[in-house]
Amino acid sequence: MALRSVNLPGVGTKYEFETDKGDIVAIFFTKTGTIQMYTLQQGCHTPSAAEMTPMEARRLGNILTGAIIEAESESVEIAFSALADLRITIHTYLIPKSVAGKTIEDLQIRTKTGVTVIAVSRRDKNIINPIPSFVFETGDAVVVIGETDQLKRFEREVMVD
Amino acid sequence: MEGIVLALFVCLVLAIITKYLSIPPIPFYIIGGVLLGKSGFALVTSDEISRFFAQMGLIFLLFFMGLELNLKRIAANRSAVLTSGFIDLNVNMLIGFVAAYMFGFSIIESLVIASAFYISSTAMAITSLIENRKLMMREAESVIWLMVFEDLVLIIILAVISAGDQNPLLFLLKIVGVLAILYAIAHYGKEFLISLLDRSDELPILFTFGAVLTTASFSMYLGVPETMMVIALGAALATTDPDAFEQHARPFKDVFLVVFFVFFGITINLSAGVDMTMVLTISLLAVVSKFISGILTGIFIHESALAGIEIWGNTIGRGEFSIALAALYGSPLVATVIAAMVIVTSIVGAFTAKYCTGLRKWMAAPWRRAPHHRGH
Repeated sequence: MALRSVNLPGVGTKYEFETDKGDIVAIFFTKTGTIQMYTLQQGCHTPSAAEMTPMEARRLGNILTGAIIEAESESVEIAFSALADLRITIHTYLIPKSVAGKTIEDLQIRTKTGVTVIAVSRRDKNIINPIPSFVFETGDAVVVIGETDQLKRFEREVMVD
Repeated sequence: MEGIVLALFVCLVLAIITKYLSIPPIPFYIIGGVLLGKSGFALVTSDEISRFFAQMGLIFLLFFMGLELNLKRIAANRSAVLTSGFIDLNVNMLIGFVAAYMFGFSIIESLVIASAFYISSTAMAITSLIENRKLMMREAESVIWLMVFEDLVLIIILAVISAGDQNPLLFLLKIVGVLAILYAIAHYGKEFLISLLDRSDELPILFTFGAVLTTASFSMYLGVPETMMVIALGAALATTDPDAFEQHARPFKDVFLVVFFVFFGITINLSAGVDMTMVLTISLLAVVSKFISGILTGIFIHESALAGIEIWGNTIGRGEFSIALAALYGSPLVATVIAAMVIVTSIVGAFTAKYCTGLRKWMAAPWRRAPHHRGH
């Protein structure tokens, strides 16, 4: 992986690196204050681009450094300042023995606590939006979404050993 | 004074509309000016104040351009800058000059028209690369360096045209003298300048404004082109903290430059009778000649004529520097021709910048279907 940075007059700074598999990622910090990220798959001619505000770029950076996914029990709070300061928390948990073998429906997770299970990670495979009849196993990591109070209820009533 | 207020208000409305539609605002400021001025409804005339504001606009535009000129960086990219730069210069200068001369302009007038014909709008090219998300394309880098080369040529054009009938040796000596002073200040005063720019009070902005104005008036006093010297000031100060200077000069540039464009339109005189065929021919040639230079650059730099379409699409728009040349050296007729060319090319350019990638793909399609598959 070779990283190179170029200062482009009038535009800003460009960072580009090629992955071992030959894909190219280029990031431009433009003078207008926005950040553009381009990715070019090996063998392709047209890159795809995304434009981000500095705030969005930092969030992406957090994801890429693994700050969210690394820990097994970790939470991220997202605040949507434009939507009446809507705050949503995403939390990961490890399934305890008491829950293993039960389905989402059995546990009545949403009715009882208000949170929603949005993903389950099982032995390096991810199941996104599991169906109600999904059966938990010990060692599963679940990702749930909800308000802070709902998550506390979820911890108290479902995630008990 | 009321005139400037009215003109600025019209520009504000135009700026909002053009930003909303994401098209370049420069042609619309000029059209707005023409409508407000003596060729239109005669609502605004230029006066002492507006002329001062307009001159500030020009000077800050050039100072800003100087801040982007990092000579070390340019030297490091010599090969990228030179090949495409020379193709662009030769093709467009030649076509522009011959066309203007054939329409009966004098040699000096033809030179002014050819220079305005040659120099693309850096602002439009860079905005279009960012807004159309083309920065990653290899051609984008060629376009950016092309703009840098054009800036360098502009400095030479400014020197050549304004040298006039002065003793060339004395003229050169004066220029070298001022350059030496500017670079000495930037070199020996670097620490002081950087600490000054770090302050959060009015000092940095006052210094920036003062430095630009002092350089301009000192150059006028010495009889060297102030336009060239403010570029040099920018380039010299770029060796300290260019980002801070850009930040402090931007408000002046943004406001005064709009005044400059709109009053350029206001002073255009169409009553003298303008040969529309000539104006349109030159404007269309301006689109065609960038196509030729673009394709040649594509062939020589990217080994693909199709890459040239991308370069062409993003460099058609003539803008701020063409208008600057017209305002500085153009007779009323020359200024009208250049204004029309800027309006036509910048509007055509806004469309080609958006759609040239599609055009290129469409043109490449028969190649892809051909049995001899190209590697690119």
